Order: sequence, then C-alpha cells, then structure tokens
Amino acid sequence: MKVFVGVDIGGTFTDLVGYDARRNKLSFSKTLTTYPNLVSGVSTCLQAAGVDIDSIDIFKHGTTVVINTLLERRGARTALVTTSGFRDILEIGRAGRPVVFDLEYQRKPPLVPRHLRWEVGERVNASGEIVRSLDLEELEILAKNAEARGVEAIAVSFINAYKNPEHERAAAEFLRRRLPNVYVSAATELSRDWFEYERTATAVANSYVGPQAATYVGNFDSRLKADGFRGTLLMMSSNGGVMSVGRAMEQPLALVESGPVGGCIGATAYAKALGIEHVIAFDMGGTTTKCALIQNFEYEIENTYHVGGYAYGFPVRTPVLDIVEVGTGGGSIVSVDGNSRLTVGPRSAGSDPGPACFGRGGLEPTITDINLVLDRIGGNAFLRGALPLNREAAIRAIEEKVCTPLGFARDRLDSAAMGVLSLATAQMMSAIKEITVERGKDTRDFQFFVFGGGGSLHAAGIARELHISRVIVPPEPGNFSALGMLLADARMDQSQSMLTNLEEASSSLIQESATELGQSISAALRRDFGNVSIILDQQLDMRYKGQRHSVLVPVHPGDGLDVIHGNFLKTYLNRYGLDDPVCPVELIGIRVTGYATGERPDLAGLHGAPRAGNPVPVAHRDVYFEEASGRARTPVYLRGDLPIGFRCAGPAVIEEFSATTLVGPRDEFEVGELGELRLSIG
Amino acid sequence: MVFDRNASGAVGKEFDAITAEIIMHRLCAIPNLIDKNITRTAFSILISEYKDYAVGVLDSEGRLIAQCSGGLPIFIANALSAAVKEGLEVYGKDQLQHGDVVICNRAATMGQHLNNVVMYTPVRTSPDEGGLFGFFAIVMHWVDVGGTAVGSSSTTSSTEIFQEGIQFPTMKLLSGGERVGDVYRLIECNTRFPKMLMGDLEAQVAGCLMGRNMSMEVLEKYGNEAVRTAVKAFWDRSEASMRKAILAAPDGVYSASSFLDDDGISGGTIPIEVSVVIEGDELTIDMSNIADQVKGPLNAGFEGGAVAAARIACKYLFAPLEPANWGAFRPIHVICPPGKILSALPTAPLAGSGKVIPTVVDTILRAFAKALPDKVPAAHHGTYGIHVIFGTDAHGNFFRHLESTIGGWGAARAYDGPGPYRSMAHGDTLEVPVELQEATCPYIVEQVKLRQDSGGAGAHRGGLGVEKSYRLLQDCSVYIHFERTKCPPWGLEGGADGKTGRVEIHGQDHSQRTVLKEITKARKGDRVDVFTGGGGGFGEPGSRDIALIVRDLNEGYVSIAAAKHAYGELADQALARMRECGMEIPG
Repeated sequence: MKVFVGVDIGGTFTDLVGYDARRNKLSFSKTLTTYPNLVSGVSTCLQAAGVDIDSIDIFKHGTTVVINTLLERRGARTALVTTSGFRDILEIGRAGRPVVFDLEYQRKPPLVPRHLRWEVGERVNASGEIVRSLDLEELEILAKNAEARGVEAIAVSFINAYKNPEHERAAAEFLRRRLPNVYVSAATELSRDWFEYERTATAVANSYVGPQAATYVGNFDSRLKADGFRGTLLMMSSNGGVMSVGRAMEQPLALVESGPVGGCIGATAYAKALGIEHVIAFDMGGTTTKCALIQNFEYEIENTYHVGGYAYGFPVRTPVLDIVEVGTGGGSIVSVDGNSRLTVGPRSAGSDPGPACFGRGGLEPTITDINLVLDRIGGNAFLRGALPLNREAAIRAIEEKVCTPLGFARDRLDSAAMGVLSLATAQMMSAIKEITVERGKDTRDFQFFVFGGGGSLHAAGIARELHISRVIVPPEPGNFSALGMLLADARMDQSQSMLTNLEEASSSLIQESATELGQSISAALRRDFGNVSIILDQQLDMRYKGQRHSVLVPVHPGDGLDVIHGNFLKTYLNRYGLDDPVCPVELIGIRVTGYATGERPDLAGLHGAPRAGNPVPVAHRDVYFEEASGRARTPVYLRGDLPIGFRCAGPAVIEEFSATTLVGPRDEFEVGELGELRLSIG
Repeated sequence: MVFDRNASGAVGKEFDAITAEIIMHRLCAIPNLIDKNITRTAFSILISEYKDYAVGVLDSEGRLIAQCSGGLPIFIANALSAAVKEGLEVYGKDQLQHGDVVICNRAATMGQHLNNVVMYTPVRTSPDEGGLFGFFAIVMHWVDVGGTAVGSSSTTSSTEIFQEGIQFPTMKLLSGGERVGDVYRLIECNTRFPKMLMGDLEAQVAGCLMGRNMSMEVLEKYGNEAVRTAVKAFWDRSEASMRKAILAAPDGVYSASSFLDDDGISGGTIPIEVSVVIEGDELTIDMSNIADQVKGPLNAGFEGGAVAAARIACKYLFAPLEPANWGAFRPIHVICPPGKILSALPTAPLAGSGKVIPTVVDTILRAFAKALPDKVPAAHHGTYGIHVIFGTDAHGNFFRHLESTIGGWGAARAYDGPGPYRSMAHGDTLEVPVELQEATCPYIVEQVKLRQDSGGAGAHRGGLGVEKSYRLLQDCSVYIHFERTKCPPWGLEGGADGKTGRVEIHGQDHSQRTVLKEITKARKGDRVDVFTGGGGGFGEPGSRDIALIVRDLNEGYVSIAAAKHAYGELADQALARMRECGMEIPG
C-alpha cells in the first residue's frame, strides 16, 4: 500500500493531505466545506491536490459530525431505559453549580426528556450479584411504547452494571431483536467504569448521535466507492487512533473529538523521530487554541469528556486525548466593555465577516488585525495573496475600538496593539499553565511544538514568557491536523473499575482482568483489521486512599504487589512532587490499550525542504517586536527556499502557504533533518 | 534600532490600562490553577469532591485581590482576610518573612466552625517592610480537629466552642521554609484521622508555596509598583461596577423576616429579621434584630456569619459574574451587634456555623424583593439537609456516607425555579454517585427521583426537590440535620410556597418516625426516606403559560390533581390540549 490520504472536514474548511510513498510526493489542498454533500468537497480537494481516487490505499477521515449533532441538538428521538428508581439520574446529574453566583444557573436540558425515560424491574448490587431479576414483561411493554412513540434510538443503562453487565446486555439484545430499526446502545458496551450518571449520559449520547453518524459514515464510504475508491476507509477516533467503519457505526461517540486529534498524533510522531521526551503541543487556530502534553512520546488520554463544556454541558465516558482549550485564536475579537475592561475573545469574527482587514464588512479588530498592523504578517499572508489584507481597515478598527476607549493617542498605536497581543499571549499561556502546573510540571523542561494557522506566529513570544528554550515548527503547520492523521495507528482503549485496597488485591486477579481486557481488544482489532500484530499496554488506575483523582501506573504481567506499589509511588512523585510510602493505596481500575500499527509514511519524506541552496530574503519589513519595544528591519524568507541545515539569527519572518513563522531579534533558527524549523529562544 | 537586553517585556516602562489588564489576568489565574492542583492532590472527600476550600491572593494589608472561582460561597466573604489581618497584628510585617507559613482557625477571628483552617504565606520581593507585596492563602475544611464528635463540626449538642475541637490562634507551621515540628505534632495528635488530615495539609502547604512562587514571577516581570497600581485599578473597577449596580436600585429601607426551626437543644423557633438600606450607590445590611446567639451549635461569629451572609446575598444580586475582591465589597456595610446568632461571642458553639446562612441569604434577598422585583427569586429549599449514615461493617471497618441534600430553587419573574441543587451557601459541590456509595457502605439505594409537586405553583413554578430511599443492610447510626421544615420556601407575588423536606425512618415492623435533628440508630432492613424541599413559585398561578403546564404534566413534574388544585381551569385546558395533540395523559 503506498498512497495515503488524510481528510479533516471542519465547519469552514476541508483540509486534505495526500502522500504517495512510491514517488515520495506530498500534496495538500484546502477548500470550503460543501454542505450537504461533503464527499463532493472531498473530490474537489483530491483534484486540487492531484490525487487519483482509485489510487488511494488508505483513506483516513476526521469529522465534526458527531460533536455538531450533539451541540446543535439534531440527534435522534431517543428513549432511555434504566433500573427501576433511577430514571431521573440523567436529569439530576451530579447537581453541581459551576457558575456559583448565577441565581438562574441551569445546565442545558438532558438529551432525553422525562416522558421518554423509562424504568424496568432489575437490580444488581455493588458486588455484581443479581438481587432482582430482569423483568422481560416490562421490557416488552417498553418496546411497544417505543414503537407507539416513534422512538428512533434507545439507550440502556443499569445501576452497578459496571460490575455485572448481564442484565444490560440481555435488555439491549432483547430490544435490538424486538425493534430492528431502532438504534440501541447499552452503557457497558461503551464504558465499564463506575458512576451511573456519567455512564448513563454516555449511552444516551451514543444512541442520540447513532442513527445520523451511522448514516454519515456509511454514505461517505459508499460515495467514495462509487467514485472509484478501492482502498480502506478509516475514521479518526478521539483517542488518537483510527477505527474501522463498522466500529464507528457502533460507537459513534468515539468520534466526538475526531478532528483535533490529528495534530497531536503528528506531534507525537515528530517528537519520537526527533528524540524529544517532553513536548507541549500547541495548536492555534481561528477561534481557539488547544494544547496537550506529550511525554516520553505518548500523549495522555482522559476518560471523561464534557460535551458543550464543563459549566453547561454533560459528561461522557469515552477516551479522548487530553487537550486544554482556550477561546483565543487569530479571529478572536478585541473589545473594551462599559467598565473599560479589555477582552480578547472568546467571540470570533470567523470567516464571515472575518477580521476587519479582510475588508468584508468586519468592523471589530481581531488578533489577525493586530498582527497585520504590527507587520508580523504581510498583506499577502492569506492563501498566497488570494485574499489581500487591508491594513487601513485594521488600523481604523483598532483605533476606534481599542485606542480611543482606553485613552491611547494616535502615535501610540503600536504599543496599544502590542499590549493587546500580550493579553492574548497571557490567555494562551493560561491554557499551557493549566496542563503543566495542574500536573506539577515545569514548562522549562519542555520543547514547544507549534502548528495551526497562528501557532508559529506567536510561539516565540509565548516560549520566552514560559522559559521554554526551543520551538519546533513542523512542515505545513496550517495543514498539520490532516498531516497527523496519516501517521495514526489503530488504537483501542478499554477499562474496568475495581475498587480494592492494594494490600488486599491479588496480583493474579489483576493479571486475569488485564488479560481478559487485552483479549477483548485483540479480538476487536483483528475483527476490524485482520490478522495484524497487536501491542498491548496495561495500566492500573491508582490513588492514595481517600483521594478522588488517580494516576495511571504501568503494570506488566508478573508484577507483584510490591512492584506495583513502587511504581505507583514513582509515578505519583513524578506527577505531583510528593510521595508517602506508608499511606494506604487503592486500586480503582485497570486500563488496557491495544495498538495495531499499519503502514504509514516515513517522516523523512513528509516535507518540501531542499537539500541545498543559498536562500535570500524575498523582502524586508519593519516588524514590531515586544522584546525590542519597537520595530526592527526584518528579512522575509519563503520556507520552501530554506535548505536543511540552514541557520540564521533573528529577526526573521518565514512565510509559507498556510502559516507565518516569526523569529525574534534575540532568537535563532535552523532547518532540521525532517524539514522542521527549530527556533532557539534567546 | 537598539535592543534593550534588560527590557522587561512590558509595554514600555510607563503604566497603562492594557498592561494592568495583563497583570491582573496573570494574577487572577493563579488561585484557579492552585485550586485545580489541590482537587487532584487532596486526600479527603470533603476537599476533592465537596470542594470545601478556597484559594486567594491578598495584598500586604490582608485585602483580597483575587480568589478562585470554584470554591464555596461562604469563603468569598472574609475568611482569608480575617486570618491574614490577625497575622499582621500578631507578627507585624517584618516578622512575616519568605518561607513562613501561618495557620489560623481561631473562633474569635474567623467566626466559623473550627474545621475551617486558613493557611497563608507572605509574597515578598525583599526582607524589608516595603518588600512585602501580600500573601497567598488557602482556607480548607480539615477533616477532624478533635472535640466531642467524629469530624468535629458534626456535633448537634455542643454548648461551647471548647467541645468542638482545638484552636490554632495564628501560629507558624513553617518558619523560613523549615517545618516547625512542634506544631506538626500538635496537629497530628489532635485529630481522629491523622493520616488523612496530614495528607490534606501537605496539599495545602504545597498549594500555598506554589501559588506564592507563581505570584512572585508576576512581580519579577512587572515590578512591585506596577502590580500594586494594577491591583488598585482592578479594585476601583470592581467597586465602580458594584456601585453602578446598587445605584440602579431605588433608595429606601426594606425589611423581611423568616425563622429557623430550632437549635436542636432549646426548642422554639429562631427569628431571622433583616433590613436593607439602599442609599445612592451604597448599601447597609442591618441584622440588629436577628435572634440572639443560641445555646446549641448554630451560631457564627461576625466575619464568618453576618459579613459572609450579607456578601453572599449581595453577590448573587449585584455582581454574580464579577470577580470577588476587596473593592467589590467596599460599598457594602454590615451591622450586627455582638451576641447575635451571626455575631456570637468567642466561646459560643459554632459547629453548625454555616447551616444558618442559606436561610439568612434567602431572607436578605426577600428584603430586596421590594426594591428589585424583577431580579429577586422566591425562596429555595434553604437547608444543608445533612444526613450521615455511618457505623462499622462486618469486617470491622468504619464506613460513613455524608450527604447534604439537593432541593428546588426559587422561581422568578423570568424563569421557573432551577435545581435540584444544594443550598445557596454551596458552590460546585457534586453528588456522590450511588455506585460509589453502595461499594463503600452497607445499604442499597432504592430510588433517587424528582419529587413530584414539591415546587410552589405560580406563573413560574419553583424547582423540584428529590426523594431518595436507602435500604439498610445492617444496623447503622444515622445523623440528620434538617432545617426549614416550619418556614417553608416562600413564594413571591402570589406564587405558592414550595414543599418542606423531612427524613422518615421506616422499620420492618411497619413503624415510622420522622427525624429532623438527631443522631439515632437504625436497624438492618429499615428504609431511610429523604424528602427534600422544593422552591417557591413566582407570580399568580392563574397567569401561567398553558404550554408550561402541559410540559409539567407530560413530564410528570406536576400531578394532574396538584395542577387542578393550583391552576384550576388552566389545568383542564392543558389536559384538553394534550388530548388534542395525542399526548399520553399520565395515570
């Protein structure tokens, strides 16, 4: 297999990256997303990139269809079946009030209204023993109800099913048999972790998106095939792996963060190839900035994801790459409120009307306008000049909406603009501090891996503030999410709650459970991908007794309790800087991850940097630099002109199709072996 | 172009509004970061799950600059400031040096139960007086500080503070970065749960020091003076915004009253009378006529009681989304002469200091209702509704489930009452999952459901309470502390009252008793039923939108009987509409 394609269909743009291993040829394209026929947009993209659809062997696809269905509430008419006495769990939730002083505070209503939440007689206790058998007659009545009310999907979630899923499975099978046209999910098919509200919300969300997502994935596949595609379609899963079309149709919730994971996968692959053990991946787009930690060539996975945010949304239990997001991006609107408070974002100008400098009627200044006024980006920075930027419009917007209300005279436009940029920087730094400080990490130990449309433009400034000495800009930073998809393995995570004091645990029981999970994963991966070789990682979820949060501790077959305890202490010390060898330790669960590595491109071929050359600047600009408190004459290079091994002191601007990289006057840069730019922050 | 290698990175050297914004963004982010770190590293469920702590940064006079946004409302009042101000008096600025860490829970200063221990450390750039920028502080509920009851504050019968635990009257836990062993040993042997407490304490110390270091980074970058100026501007802006909100309310004196059931010892209701004086852009909350301090442990001191309740109420009404800081509360004055239930004398029992707050906040809001009729909601269920099931299991292990109930909140002119949530004195406190309860305690939860008809009827209906049933699998002890069973959550402008809460214990012999404030025994096989209150309704029921009545009936939030009773003909019209639309009429 030699031709790979990755496609990221976002709300505004469809990004495509193709790689032909035989010809060592990398191609990119970007088009506006076409509704409702998304595949026709993909066809346009393939043509633009010069890739023949019938030559593609592996087609990887990231989609926002699942998250959009949830956020826009466009899902199926869904019913919920619970243990008798618990239908209101979905509505009551955990009863938290994150917006503490808002008298009106209320979460968005649950996806299933009360009159479609039905109870059935059954009960399993906390040890997994059946204390009341499943009432099939009641279930039959519910099935009739579902038919009568035109229900399209059903979620089944029973108390303590994490301990014994027998009833849940039986009820789901019954409903599937009885209602073949209704989409049915059982909670424990999606998560074997405890906590009834979270598991119930997970089953509900999966059923709610199920019919649409299954149709979307199925149609996508058949449309590609009708156009001549003969390879394999794989879907990007939120855990950073790929999954088969069949599995995506059964567990569409696993696609909830299907889009943003590509960049992290890519960052991980580059970190490994470059031998960088501690990396902060930083993805600055138009409306938000996301960051994640990659340590020892692995990113972390969170088991709980909040659809629609923590404050107003609901949790689901599905493995999602651990990403922290802030509402600051290139399109973020800069404004001053009635109390003279300056804010950047979270409102974004989007692409319509877009920043003031787009000249499409946007009157509010954005971060992009600020960058233009400071000459950090050029007037032809967008789409190779196809979208020329209007500097005067940007200046007008900033003067009117920022300088005047805050009392900055005309001649201090630069320092006002730089101040706004520093505030944006501070906001993005908060996200990075959140993922580091919260975990007891020091940013100085990390290198900064940046991508997205704005990552490389702001990276040097942020790195300096965080005392990070090295910034890495991969090839094609603006298309990096799609590029990263090309590098994704098949991956599956499964976990099982088991609460016990470590000293009372049995290492053979732990291993038995881990083996069971491992076999289930292997069987599933082989079903999807054939007879592939599979690597299994086992981890234990552990904590000091009494704590709420746990850490994941690696465990290997044959490890005794002493070894496990020692590994826990080491992991905890590393994460939080504390250890207590005598404090009792609890085991709360086992997690197993299976990887099946497919063929993927070699990074050495994934860039366009020449081997040799003597690049000269294509222009010079007076760029404003914060560290200089003023402007400096700065050469502008085209990235494609810079050969591997090229080194140069700042200041410098490096432009390419999808992004601009800014090198400060005290910084230096060089082009690395994989075509990456390496900035040393002075 | 000359590059200044020493440039601070700030915009020039001069001070401006944008730099101030950046400084405050960075400073205000620190307590929230430390908050998250503590949730992850703390040991007791009170900290990790209940979030019974708060993190803040204060100036060199002990005035609050910024506080984490997720902590309990009770702490926004004055806990951190009260402790730091006492420390400044005890030591003076020159004796509070880098690396010192001080603790305080003194009843006379804090006025809250002794479990709430404030810890703080100086943030300074040099050892001289001017080098003291301020303090990084964390208040945390310590799991047990001695006294007659397990958990210290769970006593229902204490009559003096000395029965409720040990007091730490401002003492150094660390001195110049070195642990003071004497103090550690003192703490360790005055708690029932040394392991858990010392774990939480370590998280608290680490949080203070980490917060201090991060604050110092901001000082190093921008300089002491620029940060002070930014803080001052920030306070001024919060103050201006609060004044603007107060100015919009019409001047006048407004009062309201309510009452609590009893103090658990003396019997007899406890009157809560408050008046509010709005004068231009300032206001005074006057609690001179509130009940005198009581014999049982329901009192609070002035800072932890009167000031806390007043500030919580004002924040709900005037500045719900603004940052809490010293400036914001400058226009608010509190009067409560010594010896009242919210300004108790230093020896009074304080174990239940917080339990009065929800009703006082409710009553202050009710007083404002006449001035701000579009803003103030009807009453909420108004009680912590603490219930604890505990004992020793078959293997000899101690178990305990502690829960404060969730109930309905009040409706207002623009909305139906939300909930079920905990009380107005709680923050983002999470319910403990049934699966976690059943895995650690010997009972089965038979149901958790919305309590039909518990919300007061009205043009907008009060939020619903819940019903929860525990079936005991062995003999247990049960501690109940319910309030507001006699003064129901009131409606406003013609809206009906919400239902009150109670706890019933049903024996297998068909015996039944209602318990409100007591520690009692329950037998294997008994069922403990917890009913929680609903919120009050707002506006005349006769003006309720029929579509909302249809929704309530279809979802079973309201029964047909109750709807007919409350809404009369409207209910019949709603039922007719449901039949027309082919909706099922609930049995």
